[in-house]
Formats: sequence, C-alpha cells, structure tokens
Amino acid sequence: MNIIVCVKQVLDPDIPPAKFKVDSASKQVVPPEGIPPVINPYDAQAVELALRLKEKQGGKITVLTVGSDGADKAVKYAISMGADDGFVLSDEVFEGSDSFSMAYILSKAVEKIGEYDLVLCGRQAADWDEGLVGSIIAESLGTSLVTLAEDAEVVDEGLKVKRVTLDGYQAFIVPTPAVVTVSNEVGQARLPSGLGIISAARRQIPVWKAADTGIDPSLVGSAAARRKLFALSVPARERKCEIIEGETPAEAATKLAERLREAGAI
Amino acid sequence: MEQGFDAIVVGAGPAGCACAYKLAKAGLQALVIDRGKFAGAKNMWGGAFYGAELLELLPDFLEEAPFERYVTRQKISFLTVEDCLSIDFASPKFSQPAPHGFVILRSKFDRWFADKAQEAGAIVAPGLGADDLLWDGHRVTGIKAGNDELPASAVIACDGANSVMAQKAGLQTELSPEDMKQGVKEVIELPREVIEQRFNLSGREGMAWEFAGSCTQGLPGGGFIYTNQDSISIGIVAQLNALVKRKIQANDLLEGFKSHPEVARLIEGGKLVEYSGHLIPVSGINMMPELYRDGFLVAGDAAALVLGTGLILEGANFAVASGIAAAETVIKAKEKGDFSRESLSTYQKLLEESYVLKDLKTFKKAPHFLENPHIYNLYPELACDLARRIFIGDGQPRKTTWNTLRGSLKGKASLLQILPDLWWGKGAI
Amino acid sequence: MNTISIEDKLAVNKFDIDKDVHIRIDEDICQTCNHHACIYVCPANCYKLSDGRITFSYEGCLECGSCNVACDKGAIDWTLPRPGFGICYQYG
Repeated sequence: MNIIVCVKQVLDPDIPPAKFKVDSASKQVVPPEGIPPVINPYDAQAVELALRLKEKQGGKITVLTVGSDGADKAVKYAISMGADDGFVLSDEVFEGSDSFSMAYILSKAVEKIGEYDLVLCGRQAADWDEGLVGSIIAESLGTSLVTLAEDAEVVDEGLKVKRVTLDGYQAFIVPTPAVVTVSNEVGQARLPSGLGIISAARRQIPVWKAADTGIDPSLVGSAAARRKLFALSVPARERKCEIIEGETPAEAATKLAERLREAGAI
Repeated sequence: MEQGFDAIVVGAGPAGCACAYKLAKAGLQALVIDRGKFAGAKNMWGGAFYGAELLELLPDFLEEAPFERYVTRQKISFLTVEDCLSIDFASPKFSQPAPHGFVILRSKFDRWFADKAQEAGAIVAPGLGADDLLWDGHRVTGIKAGNDELPASAVIACDGANSVMAQKAGLQTELSPEDMKQGVKEVIELPREVIEQRFNLSGREGMAWEFAGSCTQGLPGGGFIYTNQDSISIGIVAQLNALVKRKIQANDLLEGFKSHPEVARLIEGGKLVEYSGHLIPVSGINMMPELYRDGFLVAGDAAALVLGTGLILEGANFAVASGIAAAETVIKAKEKGDFSRESLSTYQKLLEESYVLKDLKTFKKAPHFLENPHIYNLYPELACDLARRIFIGDGQPRKTTWNTLRGSLKGKASLLQILPDLWWGKGAI
Repeated sequence: MNTISIEDKLAVNKFDIDKDVHIRIDEDICQTCNHHACIYVCPANCYKLSDGRITFSYEGCLECGSCNVACDKGAIDWTLPRPGFGICYQYG
C-alpha cells in the first residue's frame, strides 16, 4: 500500500504561554527566539497510522511538506519515525497561501508522485486549527474522504476507517485511493528510533519548486488567497482568585459548588 | 545493524562539535549525537568564550557565528552588602588584531556549531542519547541508544559535567560536591540601547563582569554579568557543598545579588526570559579522570577540563582544544588502524603539549586555595572599607594610605592572618 | 526589588515534559537523612521538605545533576529524561 502523508511545521506548542507573541500590525505570529518549529503533532499521528498500516500491509510511505528553510526537518522527523521518503515543496510564490492554495500545492505533488492508495493528513494544524487542507485535497484529487479517523484497515473493498464521533465512532468502507484525516484518538505517535534519527540525518530531502509539479503560480500565494485575515491579537485574559471559606470542609465544598454554579462553570 | 562509524561523539557542545568538525574535515565518518531536542537545548554557561580556537577552527566564525558581542570591557568587582569596588579594564587589545573574547548564548551558538560540523560532513543527530557503551573485552566498540546498537572505532565522551559516558567507561568515579560548583543564571531582556547606555558600550562591544564578595554571602564562588545583544545574563556560581553547609539555595544568592544597589540598577525594568542551572567541575587536574582507554576518549567538562584561578573560570576554550586534540588522536589512530589504549595515548601527549594541561598544572593548587573564606568575605570587606576611607572624607585630618590600610585592617584581620593567605596564594594563583 | 520565586522563574522556561519520571527517590532513606542536601542544591525546587518528609517532583528539573552529586545516602535514582524531553533552553 502506498501512502502519502502531508505534514506541516508549526510553532512548538510547548512554548511557555508568556512567550507567545503576535504582531498585530503585520497580522503574523512572532516565532519565539531560539525555539525551532516542530512537526504538527496531529501530522505525527498521521505518520503513526501510516506506519501501522505499512507494518501490516507493506508498501511505501512518502512524506510531503510545504515550507521554506528548515522545512526538511519535518520530513526528516517523519523519516526518523520510519517513513521511507519525502519531499519539500518550496517556492517563493507559495508565500501567503491559504488552505485552498496549500491543498492545491499538495495535490499537485501527490499527482506527481502518481501511484498512491491513501493520502493521510493530521485532522488540523496545531497553529491555526482550521482543519481544511485534508478535505480540500480530497476534493481536488477527486477521491473519497474520511475525516477524524482513529483507525484504518485494508479490506477487500478498499479501506475501512473508524471515524471519531462525540460518543463513539462511525465505520466507513471507502474505495481507494482515499484521503483520510487522522485524529488524536489514533494514539501517541512513536518516538524516532536511534537508527531512524541517523538515517534521517544522512538524507538530503529533495525540494520541488512550483514548476516541478506543474503548479499555476496564479492559483497560489497571498494574491490568490480566498481567506483574508482581518485582525490578529492575543486575547486579554483576566485571572481572579476567590477564597471560599467554611466552618467545615463540607460547608466550604457546598459554598464552592454554589459559587461555581453561579458563575456558570458547572 | 548500522555500519560502524569511525567515531561517535556523545554530546554536541563546544568539545563535541569541535571534535566532530575536525574529524569530518579529515574525511572520517563521524556521528555526533545529543540528547537535546536540538544541539544546544541542554547547554548553558555564564557567558563568554576566550581565545583563538574558534577563529582558527571555523573560517566563517566572525561573519557567521551567532555570538552576541565581543568582550571589550572586562570588569571585576568586590561587593559588600552596600558597597562595590571595581576594576574596569577596557583596551583596544581586546579586539585587535582579532576579537579575543565573545559573549555567547549557548542554545543558539551550539546549534550553529553543530550545523557547521554537519556541513563539514559529520552526521549530526540531536534527540538521540547514549544509554550505555558497547564492549568487546576491555575495548569500547560503540554505544547503545535505546534499542539500537551503534558500533564505532572510537567513542568520544563530550557529554558535560555529569558525564554518564565517562562513568560507564569506568574512568570517572562518583563526583564529589567539593569538586563541583553550581551555576544558576537568569537571562533578562532589555532594550539594546538601554544595555549599551548602562554598560557604556556601543555596536557589538560587550562586557564580561565578575563579582566576588557579598554576592555569595561569603561562600566560595562569585557572581557574573554578561551583556548579550538584547538581554543580559546574570548569575551566581557557588560551591555545592558550601550551599549544603550554609543551608541556602544558589537562587537565594542570586536574588540577593540582583538586589545589590549597584546591580539592581543594571537590570531594572528588564524582563526575565530564562532561568537555568548547571554544574561546573572546578577541581581541575585534581579531579581529572583518566582521559582515554581502548576505543574511548573523554573531552571538555566530562574530563573536568575547567580552569578556575579566582579571577576567571574557563572551560569552553579547554573543551574546544580538547575536542580538537581528541579528533587529531582519532585521525592518527585511523591511519594506523589502531584504536588501542596505547595508540590513543597520543591524546594525553597532545593535551600536555598544549595549554590545556599546562594551565591546569600551573593552577593545580588554585581550587583548594579558592576555598579560603577570606577571599569571599574578608578581602572584599577590606577592599571596600579601604576605598571608603580613601574616597569619603570624614572631616578628620587625613592619614597616610598605609595608616588608612592599617585602620581598615583593625578589628577585621591581623597581618598574621593575612600573610599565610598571601604566601599560599603566591603558589596557587 | 521584589524577589521572584523559583516556580515563577521556571514558568518562563520551555520544557517538553515526558510522562516518564526520570528521577526517583527512596523516601524511606530520606526519612533517616540528617542534612537534606537535595533541597538546598536543587536550583529548581524539585525537592521539598514538608512535615519532615522529602517530596520530589520532576517537572521543573533543569537536569544539572546537583542532587545526585550532593546526596550521600544513595536515596536518589538519578537518570536524565529521555532524549528530546525535559528542559529546552532558548538562550543557554
């Protein structure tokens, strides 16, 4: 089974909250000094699902990412987990692309790779949390789509995917090729192995520019963006502390419960 | 199984990166691993690198290296609770013909240095730690990392003050709190112009400032301030066993130091952006482990190659020099096809011929001498008291300087107490 | 000048906290200890003495190894966090 996994580099979600800054004027997030970006955790889980499928079915895992300098690190991380191959899609014209353009860029690369049974994406990126790219890739490739997968297995008719719902799951059987977005219920992504890290460190990740995959430059970049950002700011948070007292612990607890109900917290 | 490397370097600090860089330049298959998420993620220090090693090793250093500032002012201050007596040394010699000292933040710098080793051809693998060594009889034949076995002709331990590798190799025994100092540091963000104005600097000029006296409340150690571009590094170094004896945390000393009137004004309005801590091996040659065995070498802090003379505490230049010497040794061993203990003894010879072991031998007695509490309470007190008597008139007729000094000493110390210190100090520092 | 607590200082640091605990202490041995060196040498307040008992939390650990060097009772089973986890210095 040939699987293509689309991954994105995001701001390290573990940065201390006080160090998260945005520049409201340019409407951009200011990356914190000295903390390199990481692979989107949901995408690492997509790689995890790909590896589990490969372990059962055999096949090849190819990783794609869109980005500039240092984007190869996300691909290398996936390779250190066990993926076979990967490409960085990088071009000046890509800058400022929205989810539609990103999906277009990735779809063109998927088409260039050609032989694939499954495209996996994380359910959303941990930076903007839009969760659009996977679905739009399916739309532009014209394949079947299942979102929020927690598991997948190969069956005679194609692929059986468990999709997370609020109180359980749905099971779909879809023909391949298919696009599946992977939810965190799939479980923790494995950590890279020593040999994986070394083999990834040895690799040079090829870079495909717009022309390499036949991308129409007028369909990407900020000029083509359909989604416009109007304002960006960090919401002000207020913290208050109230001490609830009582003669006995039981009384204090009752008062606390009342207070919480009053505040609408429970 | 992975095909063997010529050398596996454990730890991507100054010793490890210098070693891997040199090995790769000579065409050897070198792997450098580091348990940090990226090279430098686990590394901290006070702040400055002195010497020409980096300039010689890395041709792009001056243009490319992410150092903060050149050291153009070197200041030493003696503190009492209220007073501060300083020697502020500025000289064009600091930066001519080439800068001699660089204020560096390690997380950024080590990452760059590791990239340089990678460009030179080394395999750099952060996120990978060595759990154990592989053995063939007495010979180290590689490392164990998780479930993976990575064979190599030589393993070079550059894994810092708590060298797990040197211990696993049976070279370093348990470390003793008498031999270690603890460094704690804050990085405090301030606007560049404020830093330059407060420290009398411009452009890339920088200051390295050491403090002795009340900042450690009389414990062996000192305070330091280094100016970065947009922040300052401020910290305390204190003898580990002395903290236990005094029942005080290094952070308490740091908070006291920060509140000294002369220091508080320098950091006023700044924003804390990082708090860090680390151990420093300070007993020099007295605690130095054996530096090599079959298939194995130790460099940098892991080998306790740190020089403390009281006025300076240097380790990074020794780390780089020892990393280079280890690389040269392994390059020769590879030519001979012999990685035995005898073949690797070249390493010791190279270090003995260089300033590394020469300096450590010269200052062999310094670590013990520097435990003398007089240095951290009596002398700073005396110095400040003398300065107070000289510079602040009290309306009384002036005395000769000699008599002023005697006045300072009175009630604090007798010549009989001081003379042994002088005699002892003469041989030690 | 107001002093800042160690906890507030650690809050500005970047940590990748592992679910695996990398240091374990033998509280029974700590009970018999007469100096509690660990609480003075730990720069991150990981060791705390409350009601005569030493408690330990690994989350703010700066991985300096001071506790391991200072404890002479053999109460500390000291290792480093798994690679990639623990303190991640931005400045260093």
